[in-house]
Amino acid sequence: MQLITTHTLASKEKEFAQLIKDNQGLIIKVSRLYTNSLEDEEDLFQEIVLQLWRSYDSFKGNSKISTWMYRVALNTAITLFRKKSKSLPTNELDINHADFIDDDDDKQQQVSLLYTVIKTLPNVERAIVTMYLDDLPYKDIAENLGITEVNARVKMNRLKKTLKEQMEKYA
Amino acid sequence: MPEFDLDSLKKTWQEQPVQKKYDNNEILQMLNRKSRNYVKYIFWISVAEFVFFSVLGIFYFFQGEESTSFIKVLERLGAQKTPEVENNFDNAYLAIKILSLLVTAYFVYKFYQNYRKIKIEENLKGLITKIIKFKKTVNAFILISIVLLVAFTSVFTAFIFYALNSQNIEPKSADLTIVIVGIIVSTILSVLLIWLYYKLVYGIIIRKLDRNLKQLKEIDSQEI
Repeated sequence: MQLITTHTLASKEKEFAQLIKDNQGLIIKVSRLYTNSLEDEEDLFQEIVLQLWRSYDSFKGNSKISTWMYRVALNTAITLFRKKSKSLPTNELDINHADFIDDDDDKQQQVSLLYTVIKTLPNVERAIVTMYLDDLPYKDIAENLGITEVNARVKMNRLKKTLKEQMEKYA
Repeated sequence: MPEFDLDSLKKTWQEQPVQKKYDNNEILQMLNRKSRNYVKYIFWISVAEFVFFSVLGIFYFFQGEESTSFIKVLERLGAQKTPEVENNFDNAYLAIKILSLLVTAYFVYKFYQNYRKIKIEENLKGLITKIIKFKKTVNAFILISIVLLVAFTSVFTAFIFYALNSQNIEPKSADLTIVIVGIIVSTILSVLLIWLYYKLVYGIIIRKLDRNLKQLKEIDSQEI
């Protein structure tokens, strides 16, 4: 009996590890958007993985993988995670082109700048933009945050305008 | 740079290369790591607070110290210790102690119950609300502990006057002032210390949660 339980747990862990490996881009994005140092980014990644593991049983196909992952990842980043480094004031735009300035690809450059601009937004707005960029339906964005779908849509449309202004200002 | 269009960036955003790949083994190792989160932090600090207040309560419960110090104050003011005064005081004191233990037991139960309700798979608004509710249980416990402390001090003071009155004693005004000022200053100091402690320990996390909740509420009340 013990053997079976151990075996089941091991295979569940393996299945989970594979799921995380396949979707780690999503967790990396959230970790990057909600931290200001590499150390915190890595710690947040690990904390999200841990929280996903703890809620893995409750998931099991009840919703889309990305919706569930975003929900747990954003909840962890916004409410649970204790950063080591002090956070920067949100209105202070810290543009560090160093890690992408050599990139020839125009769009890749824009994406890098977009990270910086999104990071100046308040936590909840940051969450809306992140999920929107990854094509989560408004219904899921709203459900993950506990707001209405209409309001999520209206807010996102306003955020598009804000982001456009900011991007053009700093481009 | 060409004119910015968020939607045209979606594809690039979604397909951005992952700089650092964690392999399955590294991910499995993460599952055994210690969690570093605020709820856990609040949980353990609150447990320590419950233990502290409960141990203090139990400690006084089995110790008749107040009764002796009460009599000392009375004697200083010139009153006699009579069985009637002592008996009444002991009864009132016992009632407050029992009440304080019952209150602690109730809050330990509520505290655990509210902690269990915090689920990471809840939506953000629900999660923040539950964490705040959980924290409020501890706040309520502390508040009631302070009320009990003040109630106890009031009973103590009332008994002094009752004893003096029943024995028709007019204490020297200097002595009376010392006793009253002492009681007021020590009560204010304890309340201030407790308040300061809470601001320091929970200030940051509660402010952070409140800020996020406010953002969510603003989005839901925006004009469409």
